[in-house]
Amino acid sequence: MAITTTVAATQPPPPRARRFELGDSTIQKLFILPTLVFLIVWNIFPLLYSLYLSFTKYSHSGKLPPIWIGTQNYAVLLSDPKVWHAFAVTGMYALLSVSGQALVGFGLALLLRAKFKASGLLTTLILIPMMLSPVIVGVFWKLIFDPLMGIFSYLKFWDPATAPIMLRDHALLGVVIVDVWMWSPFVMLLCLSGLKAIPDYLYEAALVDRAGPWRQFWKITLPQVAPLLLLAVLFRTIEALKAFDVVMGVTGGGPGNTTEMVSIQLYRLVFQGQAQTGRASALAYIMLIVILAVSNVYVWYLNRIKEA
Amino acid sequence: MTASVSSTAQRSFAETGPGTPVVESVRVDQVTPGARTGLTVRLIAAIVVAFIMLIPVIWIGMTAIKSRPDATAVPPKVIFQPSWDGFIGLFTNRTQLSSGALATQKKRTDLSYWEKIALIRGMRILGPSKFVGQLRNSLIISLASTFLAVALGLLSAYAFSRWDIKGKGDWLFFILSTRMLPAVVVTIPIFLMYRALGMYDTHIGMILLYTAFNLSFSVWLLKGFIDEIPKEYEEAALVDGYSRLQAFGKIVLPQAATGIVATAVFCLIFAWNEFAFSLMLTSARARTAPPSIATIQGVGGIEWGSIAAGTLLFLIPVVIVTFALRNYLLRGVTFGAIRQ
Amino acid sequence: MATIELKQVEKKFGENYAVRPVDLTVNDGEFVALLGPSGCGKTTTLRMISGLEAVTGGRIYLNGKDVTWLKASERDIAFVFQFFALYPQMTVRQNIAFPLESQGEKQDVISKRVDEVVDMLRIRPMLKLKPHMLSGGDKQRVALARSLVRRPACFLMDEPLGALDAEFREAMRAEIKRLHIAQHATTVYVTHDQVEAMAMGDRIVVMSNAIVQQIGTPAEVYHDPANLFVANFIGSPGMQLVKGPYADGAVQLPGGSLYPVPAAWRPSLDGATGSGELVIGFRAEAADVAEDGPIAGRVFNTDLHGSYVVLHVDLAGDQLVQVRARRDHEYGIGMPIRFDLNETMVRFFDPKTELALSPALPSRQQHGISRAQDAEVSA
Repeated sequence: MAITTTVAATQPPPPRARRFELGDSTIQKLFILPTLVFLIVWNIFPLLYSLYLSFTKYSHSGKLPPIWIGTQNYAVLLSDPKVWHAFAVTGMYALLSVSGQALVGFGLALLLRAKFKASGLLTTLILIPMMLSPVIVGVFWKLIFDPLMGIFSYLKFWDPATAPIMLRDHALLGVVIVDVWMWSPFVMLLCLSGLKAIPDYLYEAALVDRAGPWRQFWKITLPQVAPLLLLAVLFRTIEALKAFDVVMGVTGGGPGNTTEMVSIQLYRLVFQGQAQTGRASALAYIMLIVILAVSNVYVWYLNRIKEA
Repeated sequence: MTASVSSTAQRSFAETGPGTPVVESVRVDQVTPGARTGLTVRLIAAIVVAFIMLIPVIWIGMTAIKSRPDATAVPPKVIFQPSWDGFIGLFTNRTQLSSGALATQKKRTDLSYWEKIALIRGMRILGPSKFVGQLRNSLIISLASTFLAVALGLLSAYAFSRWDIKGKGDWLFFILSTRMLPAVVVTIPIFLMYRALGMYDTHIGMILLYTAFNLSFSVWLLKGFIDEIPKEYEEAALVDGYSRLQAFGKIVLPQAATGIVATAVFCLIFAWNEFAFSLMLTSARARTAPPSIATIQGVGGIEWGSIAAGTLLFLIPVVIVTFALRNYLLRGVTFGAIRQ
Repeated sequence: MATIELKQVEKKFGENYAVRPVDLTVNDGEFVALLGPSGCGKTTTLRMISGLEAVTGGRIYLNGKDVTWLKASERDIAFVFQFFALYPQMTVRQNIAFPLESQGEKQDVISKRVDEVVDMLRIRPMLKLKPHMLSGGDKQRVALARSLVRRPACFLMDEPLGALDAEFREAMRAEIKRLHIAQHATTVYVTHDQVEAMAMGDRIVVMSNAIVQQIGTPAEVYHDPANLFVANFIGSPGMQLVKGPYADGAVQLPGGSLYPVPAAWRPSLDGATGSGELVIGFRAEAADVAEDGPIAGRVFNTDLHGSYVVLHVDLAGDQLVQVRARRDHEYGIGMPIRFDLNETMVRFFDPKTELALSPALPSRQQHGISRAQDAEVSA
């Protein structure tokens, strides 16, 4: 006796080459494999090889292969005042630059949160500095800071003849100014998204509750934006510690070593002078550890936000 | 039968339902004369701030079209006669002519428009400079690496989003952590590796490197976007008989389109502006624009006009992209930072 | 203590009216419900009273004082929002204390008032929690506490129960009403739920499409709706409206039945119908099944409602009306049936103007009819 079954009412796709259907697990592997390959070859391998090199004496321009010398590179570096100076410069730069970005960025966000004519357009315009190549623009700021030819000396704040010569006397400050100029829009964007997420009715309730503008800012606006602001600060701190492009552009590390950040020092160690590749790798690893520590704070903080 | 009084009265914010247009309510404190100025003040302040932020960019534009002496004038000139000097210096190699050769050159009648301008400075055009080639390199490497990073990132993001892969958390963390690395840490081994494999100063070497660095960002960002697409759509398609790949193509891709564009924009901008790797891993053949614009040396010192011209050319595509795709950008930045 | 007066208050956006000119007086201690469907202007009206939105015409008086152009913070009002509007980063206690702290009250006064209010709303266990940890009902209680703590002259509530689950709504409804009575508080309450308005309001302002349709007590809007909209909107289900040509004292209904209008209505109806058509309005409980009733139809469906049955009667193939009947009869589907309309409860409307018509009776007697019906509508 034949048992008839009714076919499902859904419309299956035209059965073309059904036998080439790949199973889920194959697709999984296929989709992830290329990324993993890239990851391993360009990230993991270099990391490990760098680690190895950091324990060796090696110069890539010389003929000798790397010679194992244990932690000697690290010892030398950690007792070298120039290295500490570079870390100090980097730390100071990160502190000044991130504070500046946070203040300016938050201020910009407060300004642009209201919807007024052309506010969208103006916001986009203010984004532009963030989109430019840091080194190229950094070089151009050299011109702006030039005591004779640059517009910085001719601002209305001071007499051109006695204007501060940024590139000579306040080089680090000069780089900080460029960095704040470039990256405040990033902080602004994050704060803006936080500000826009605050529902209007909270402010209306506060108004009915007889709270003045300052109280509203302190009790409603600030607590709501604080997490995002902090996020931006952490992110920019990590980037500031890694700074290379901007500094190379504006000062190249000089004058002398007043703006020699760790990354610049690294570059000089590897590509200039004696090409002390082994020692440079050690320095790179020290820097990596510092940055990892800060990044951990970042990730921990992110997780805390996600849970809230 | 119901009363049907048709009316096109607009509704205030509190009374809108899904799909109805929202009208800004007119608050008492915004209507009374004193407070009305609030918005106008903001507008003025915003215009001033935007202008100040853009002064360097405007100055770049102005310097790019200044003649050579004007570009380095003391004090800096705001009003000037525009000239192509900067661009000529950027795109061509020239040589300073001796007085004798100068006289000969001046007598020629077959000079092109550009050569005439060069002549004003007492120079003769030898041929195109390296800049064109470098610009081309920038284009090729940026586009190729962006395409790869987004394509591969999309696939991996999908896999990470939809399946519980062994060690997923660890892989994702690793991917994230590569963003934290300073470029120089990785450069040394890669430099050695490339040198050994003959990939130093090659297009393919740079493309693959940029792809690798953009991948971490693109996987994270795209995973966030894909996470937002409900799984139910694909599951329904699978039940209907579609293969996983077809479901991916028909359902996930269109919905992730905005995310894909946002990611692509960021990858493109990163690759376009990248300096450190290009400086350290290329020299003549595959060098992109950023390392070289910084050091355009002409005869007699830094050619600010040419540097400005190069900077201007280099930033125009970015500005255009920023404007055209600003909505995607905004979504990407806030999304990426929060989602990570 | 606290009266609210609206004189020709209107709100325009460009040329479009969000609220057409409204005259309204809320007496001291009264609970007035602003009722209407989405987009009718009720919330805008409330916001204008509160000062959160500017009027484009008219004047608002609070206790006789002209507050039309005062900010919300300068009016002696409290506002309860649909989405609670609790400050997310503060604890419940800090939320409640916020208005008093903003006014610069002394700490001991604040503590005392907060305690009073917390006990009134029974939220003491939650004082240290943050808003996101509370359920919807509790959040609204906290919002109510916050509004009470300042002892304002009047309370304005914007669909406060709209965001709550159905099971909490009835309980909260009773709680708000209890508070209102205990505080003798003048309250204006916006809602789209007519059951809510009917249950809570001393008077109801029915609005639709920016126009006030009727202002009256629940009994008035239920028994004597001013127009077709109110008739249909109020009651579950709304009043049934059947249109038909009118001639010689009888309305012809779909299906051919002729309904002779009650004698009391004849004079005014004869004079009123310009188009020759009339709309009859009656509620299910106004229809009585009768063997010799003038209106004929077929039973389409029956709904059992405990002590009575609601028959869905098909008049002519496309018009269903609901007729209430006793449980003692069996009504089968398709069965022909006849019914009559209670002549004190039936209403008539002009189909063109949509307004209710009135019989040529003195108003006192009309009110007498309305009150008598109150008892009937208890099932």
